[in-house]
Amino acid sequence: MGNPLVTILGVGNFLFADEGFGIRVIEKLQADYRFPEEVLVVDGGVLGINLLGVVSQPDHLIVVDALRNRGNAGDLYRLAGDDIPRRVLAKNSLHQVDLLEALTLCQALDKVPETVILGVEPEDIETLKLEMTPVVQRQVAPMAARVLKELDRLGVPYSRRSCT
Amino acid sequence: MGKRITIDPITRIEGHLRIEVEVEGGKVVNAWSSGTLFRGIEVILQGRDPRDAHHFVQRSCGVCTYVHALASVRAVDDAVGIKMPVNARLIRNLLHGAQYQHDHIVHFYHLHALDWVDIVSALKADPAKTAALADNTSNAPWGGRQYFKNVQVRLQTFVDSGQLGPFANAYWGHSAYKLPPEANLMAAAHYIEALRIQAKAARLHAIFGGKNPHPQSLVVGGVTSVADLVPDRIAEFLYITKETHDFVKNVYIPDLLAVASFYKEWGGIGGCTNFLTYGDFPASEQEPESFYMPRGVIRKRDLANIEMADQQKVTEDVTRAWYLKSAPKHPFEGETRPIPENPKFSPEKGKYSWAKAPRYDGLPCEVGPLARVLVAYGKGHADIKPLVDGALKQLDIPASALFSTLGRTAARGLETVAIGEVMQGWVTELVENLKSGDTKTYQPYEMPQTAQGVGLNDVPRGALGHWIRIENGKIGNYQYVVPSTWNLGPRDGGGNLSPVEEALIGTPVADPQKPLEVLRTVHSFDPCLACAIHVIDPHSNEVYKIRVV
Repeated sequence: MGNPLVTILGVGNFLFADEGFGIRVIEKLQADYRFPEEVLVVDGGVLGINLLGVVSQPDHLIVVDALRNRGNAGDLYRLAGDDIPRRVLAKNSLHQVDLLEALTLCQALDKVPETVILGVEPEDIETLKLEMTPVVQRQVAPMAARVLKELDRLGVPYSRRSCT
Repeated sequence: MGKRITIDPITRIEGHLRIEVEVEGGKVVNAWSSGTLFRGIEVILQGRDPRDAHHFVQRSCGVCTYVHALASVRAVDDAVGIKMPVNARLIRNLLHGAQYQHDHIVHFYHLHALDWVDIVSALKADPAKTAALADNTSNAPWGGRQYFKNVQVRLQTFVDSGQLGPFANAYWGHSAYKLPPEANLMAAAHYIEALRIQAKAARLHAIFGGKNPHPQSLVVGGVTSVADLVPDRIAEFLYITKETHDFVKNVYIPDLLAVASFYKEWGGIGGCTNFLTYGDFPASEQEPESFYMPRGVIRKRDLANIEMADQQKVTEDVTRAWYLKSAPKHPFEGETRPIPENPKFSPEKGKYSWAKAPRYDGLPCEVGPLARVLVAYGKGHADIKPLVDGALKQLDIPASALFSTLGRTAARGLETVAIGEVMQGWVTELVENLKSGDTKTYQPYEMPQTAQGVGLNDVPRGALGHWIRIENGKIGNYQYVVPSTWNLGPRDGGGNLSPVEEALIGTPVADPQKPLEVLRTVHSFDPCLACAIHVIDPHSNEVYKIRVV
């Protein structure tokens, strides 16, 4: 048995302001860190059930997303275990339902990855613009750090790319 | 006045769609299709470098990333005047073909099959009888009593867990389900196998696509995958595409025909009148003449007089959509000016959709697999015609039955066979061309200050067009017209119904509380209103409080 497979999956749509949060966190992780072969860092966009191939492979799945939860913009959330299936009922973003449906479908296959969803409360996911709101933009780096904390928890190594 | 049924949202589709039908005497007598969507990609694109457009447009749809990117680079290729290198043409075709293989399998099994297959009934099936049935109908590599028993246990676990997930929101036990329990169990087993093959087929795009799942290898002027043109990568692509193709031939098509044989009356339900396909898969620089799937327009179901399609005849009508009044416009002149007031759903005489109404020469046209297959069939296509004739013969139905929901669903499967077959030839061609010493994948060019270009694709869901105007070397205007607005848009200023609205009229509805029959026809169009959409009401009905960490 090799090391556990880990996939870090950013989802969302950067055409709609804070909806792009998950993608921006992925980009930051890819730019700043090196990961071992068993860690995949994936920009999942809003592919929904088409992400099944991505979510059905790993042992551990870390999803980064904007999560509308009626908190304050910029609040960070962590969902794991039993919290996740219940979210299927609370439909709060177009792509989430499909992603969670993909997770449910994993049950029909052989493997359901142990999943953690890391989310940020968005301020604006409606305006067609590429820039995130400042309060959410400021959370990209702290969220990237949280993703790394999850890797620490799993005992997965990574290293910072040297500054150039 | 008949009974009104509203289905909102339609689930098992990729976007948000609301269908309203009026039922009288057990049949649909009127129908309205409303896409709760908003478009305006040009807002993001205006003033940008035309070479970057595809990075943005591929994000405007959750599912069709590659096809939007392809239409976009084709539009700029056209504006610039690119002579496409052979390798680039082949790789673009292969990636596009892979999209068909992937999407059509997903549609049949995961987005459409549950309209015909009763999962709960599958729990009652005899696994041994199912194994016998499967041996008779398909060439699937899996089977046997124990295999089907295992599938049944898995389904039971789903049902018992109360987390039906994809199997929720269905009308299990509805009288319109006609399959015996064993056929239901066989189809359910293949639903699961299709998930596996889908996950594999999705990898095809990563091989020549660079980054999965958002392919980055397309560029104006060709492709960037020079480094991928090595024997290992090509062999890997061939291996997966062939495995997918085997699934299509040995499982998908036998399942399709087996299911269809129980639903032959659907060969007389859900048909449209006019059809449009831009065609696709160029075999040389001669476009559209060399297209594997030919371009054409069918008026009034007349397969004997198929016309060549001309993109200049495409307009969008906003009379019944929530935009400011204007005459129908060609996409080059297209604009997105929503009405200032809150949209009110007024299906009788007013506006009722965020989708515009695309028209060809003023006509609503169905686009997608059925349009492509009918045009190819009418033109006597060497591969498509025998496939269609074979299916008609096996089902013992006339060619006129193609104009229907059954025809639409069958056409999707049949074209997947033809395209999967021809893809293998493209791989060989690519290898031969590379061997001959031609490694060119990109044609250099200079960006003109002022130009305009059109990128026409026929993508799994149908005719997709991108129109770009370049001004001062930057994007001046950018519009696209997507398949789902052709098929699922609203009425136009002349009162013409959209294809799905027309198709629904006459549909039998056994139980207005459970309009399963309506969903069959709607789903047969493979609706994807995610293109350029935006959810208008982001507030969920139910909110669970999550701990703030």
